[in-house]
Amino acid sequence: MSLRSRELGFLVPALLLGMLGLAAGASARADELQAGPWQTALGVAMVFVVMHAVLRLRAPLSDPYLVPILAALTGIGLAMLYRIDPGLAGDQAIWVTLGGIAFCAVIVFMPDHRVLERYRYVIGLTAVLLLVATMVFGTEVNGSRLWISIGGGQRVQLGELAKVLMVIFLAGYLREKREVLAIPTQRKFGLNLPALRHLAPILVFWGAALAAVVVLNDFGTALLFFGVFLAMLYLATGRALYVGLGIGLFVAGSLFIWATVPRIGVRVDSWLHPFDDVQGTGYQMVQSLYALADGGVVGPGFGRALLVTEGGNPRIPALETDFIFSAVSNDLGYVGAIGVMLLYVLLMARGFAIATAARDGFSKLLAGGLTAVVGLQAFIIIGGVVRLVPLTGVTLPFMSYGGSSVVVNFGIAALLLVISNRSRQGLVEAVRGAPAT
Amino acid sequence: MNRSIRALYLTLAVGFAVLVVMLGYWQVVAAGELDERADNPYRLEQQRLVDRGRIISADKIILAESVAYREKGKKYYRRYYPQGSLAAQVVGYATPQQGATGLEQQYNRYLAGSYGTGAILDRLRQETKDGADIRLTLDTRVQKTAEALLSGRRGAVVAIEPKTGKVLALASSPAFDLNEVSSDFASIRKQDGAPLLNRSTGGLYPPGSTFKVVTATAALDNGKWSASSTFDDKGVYVVDGKPIYNSGKAKYGLHNLTDALTFSINTTFAQIGDQLGGRKLGREMNRFGFARPTEIDLPSGEVAVSGRYRAGKILPNDQRDEDSARIAIGQENLQVTPLQMAMVAGAVANGGRMMRPYLMRRAITRDGVVVKQQRPEEIDSVASAYVASEVGRMMQNVVSEGTGTEAGLSGLSVAGKTGTAETGDPERNQAWFIGYAPAEDPQVAVAVVIEDTSGTGGTDAAPVAGEVMRTALSIDPVPGEPTT
Repeated sequence: MSLRSRELGFLVPALLLGMLGLAAGASARADELQAGPWQTALGVAMVFVVMHAVLRLRAPLSDPYLVPILAALTGIGLAMLYRIDPGLAGDQAIWVTLGGIAFCAVIVFMPDHRVLERYRYVIGLTAVLLLVATMVFGTEVNGSRLWISIGGGQRVQLGELAKVLMVIFLAGYLREKREVLAIPTQRKFGLNLPALRHLAPILVFWGAALAAVVVLNDFGTALLFFGVFLAMLYLATGRALYVGLGIGLFVAGSLFIWATVPRIGVRVDSWLHPFDDVQGTGYQMVQSLYALADGGVVGPGFGRALLVTEGGNPRIPALETDFIFSAVSNDLGYVGAIGVMLLYVLLMARGFAIATAARDGFSKLLAGGLTAVVGLQAFIIIGGVVRLVPLTGVTLPFMSYGGSSVVVNFGIAALLLVISNRSRQGLVEAVRGAPAT
Repeated sequence: MNRSIRALYLTLAVGFAVLVVMLGYWQVVAAGELDERADNPYRLEQQRLVDRGRIISADKIILAESVAYREKGKKYYRRYYPQGSLAAQVVGYATPQQGATGLEQQYNRYLAGSYGTGAILDRLRQETKDGADIRLTLDTRVQKTAEALLSGRRGAVVAIEPKTGKVLALASSPAFDLNEVSSDFASIRKQDGAPLLNRSTGGLYPPGSTFKVVTATAALDNGKWSASSTFDDKGVYVVDGKPIYNSGKAKYGLHNLTDALTFSINTTFAQIGDQLGGRKLGREMNRFGFARPTEIDLPSGEVAVSGRYRAGKILPNDQRDEDSARIAIGQENLQVTPLQMAMVAGAVANGGRMMRPYLMRRAITRDGVVVKQQRPEEIDSVASAYVASEVGRMMQNVVSEGTGTEAGLSGLSVAGKTGTAETGDPERNQAWFIGYAPAEDPQVAVAVVIEDTSGTGGTDAAPVAGEVMRTALSIDPVPGEPTT
């Protein structure tokens, strides 16, 4: 069976899962059996079928499991949004369509991702500019300054795009510097360290990430950027020491900010002791924990938990974005939530497999970095929901409500598939080109 | 680089494994505890979907039940209290807006069907379990008698079975209609006399002379005194330079300990308290359960701790430096609940063995499966059987020829002790009676408090106690099915 047929074989049940979820949510809402918003469901299914078709034509050798995993996550996400508020699902379907277009555009117009390496500094600079623009022109939403208004009441999260550009830049930069970074030339504080001029970018990045916490008021984005940076540094050099050092510096810096910036102090306190102020600072967290507890082992099913009041308001503030995972855990229970987490682990498994199979350093770093971005982001927000780390405002990839996030994450998937297609193509060519012995 | 890639993947995968464990903690391990939290909106929302169990009295009268209704095609349940205000504070209410109180809160897990390991299995099977019925020890015939006698006054009546600890009645006046909680809670709250307060378990009163039962027990226990020890009353006893007088400044001359209890002679008990000292009197109070939360199956917030208070805080019983003479006659900021004093009477009645008071006999499913059965349980031995019977004999004298004659029942021997705590305003005495009957084979022990009366324990509380005991002694088991 060809790779693409295998993809289709997995895609169909993945799409059916989302459709059934939508129908189940609609039935729960109406208290009778209903097909649900089948136009929306079919539209989204069509997007995935088109994505599949484009892959068949332009990247036939790419990994066959990524798109079905995407379809499953997107489908469950849509079903959850629909049960929270049908209007949200309608919007999200449009974002998914745009994401599909971005996906196809990447596949069609960038058959070889290695061109990106050439423009790494331009791309890195763009990423910085996007972040600076957000800091300067950004509008504050829920206390965090992550959005830029583009008129018509629409907002764009430039940080989402900057995230991908940063990974591309780092892949190029680290491939260039990996040797000098990997070889220690001096010994200080009992540690073997490379020359300071090579180490400097790490320190700059550390400072920038902490500055972002304060300026953007967003711990999640800072944690994500810095985490991905460390992950890629580790991929490039293979030295766990950098990771340890980086985490140490980040924790030390965070503790300093926690102690000195009162606003962030409050946030950390509400993370450590949410039950001290159930009606105030701990409200969101506590309501979410109640939702988890209510979900129990198997949950009541799509649309059947009491996530939304009779007036139609979500019980948990930011349920459709930061707390979409609480909605999953409540409706589908522990079992369903584990299923969703397994989908992310599977996604990472495929992403890292693509990185392993890639045949040059840049491709490996790029694939590994993109995978780490998605995996870490999912980890940070789910970790916030289960109170493992402080609660942050990053989205759950492919599931949270929000256009920027959906489009960018579809783009990431497309890039991974391009890399995957490229390395297998190279393999095929190499085998064909090998002299017969 | 592939080695690093694998290491990174494993790190992230382990991270997700930690997430799975944490999520399991919230969804499985801590879930029950979170579900039970009073501020959890799910808990009460869920209740609307549950066919909550009934609360049924010992004489098979339904005090609370669930009534089904449909809304937007969905089946919901609403709580209905067929007896209205009867035992309102004990039964309690359960509404999404006001939360839950009383037995509705205490036994929510049975009533809502979330008891036992079956609850998890039911969740797995997606079944909503019907709540279990709660069968009470409380008898509406005794309860009604008590409430009728209290009507128009403020006060409380407690009736327990001394040998088992079964609570027969817990009346608190004024009361409120449980059916009005969901519709008219604000006006219930505003009413005079705090009808929401369960005075029988949560009301704190100075015990007055009823406390002399505790002092008498301590005296006999000590061995230095017996029921026939003689005293000479000069009408005054001075402690710390301040005089203690008898009620009405009476002077009794030569008398024995039985007379002292019979006529409630302050000077004699003050002298005993003085000589016993704070430590020994405190030890007796410890045994009787003062300064310790009373073990009854009601929410802890509705049961007050009896004992000495200072600045709103309970003090330990045995302090060396306290004024044990005034404690001995029920003064010195002693604050007690009617339930506590009923337990004092009950312990004397039961040969010195204090039984744990309980309201729920059993929780039983509608298929007749008993999911929880409560049995009589001894809390503590407060005195030897001999001391208890001697104190009981003295208490019989109180009713046969002393201050408590109004509690007497024809053909039956009643033991008791009156108390009148004065507030400085002669119109606002707190009248007390504690006691039990029949003296030879006690079946019921009571405590009665009437607030803000110009009368005394003997004139106001004793007749109520007599009537309640008479009812309690006349009830027979009721056969058949529960009815409204």
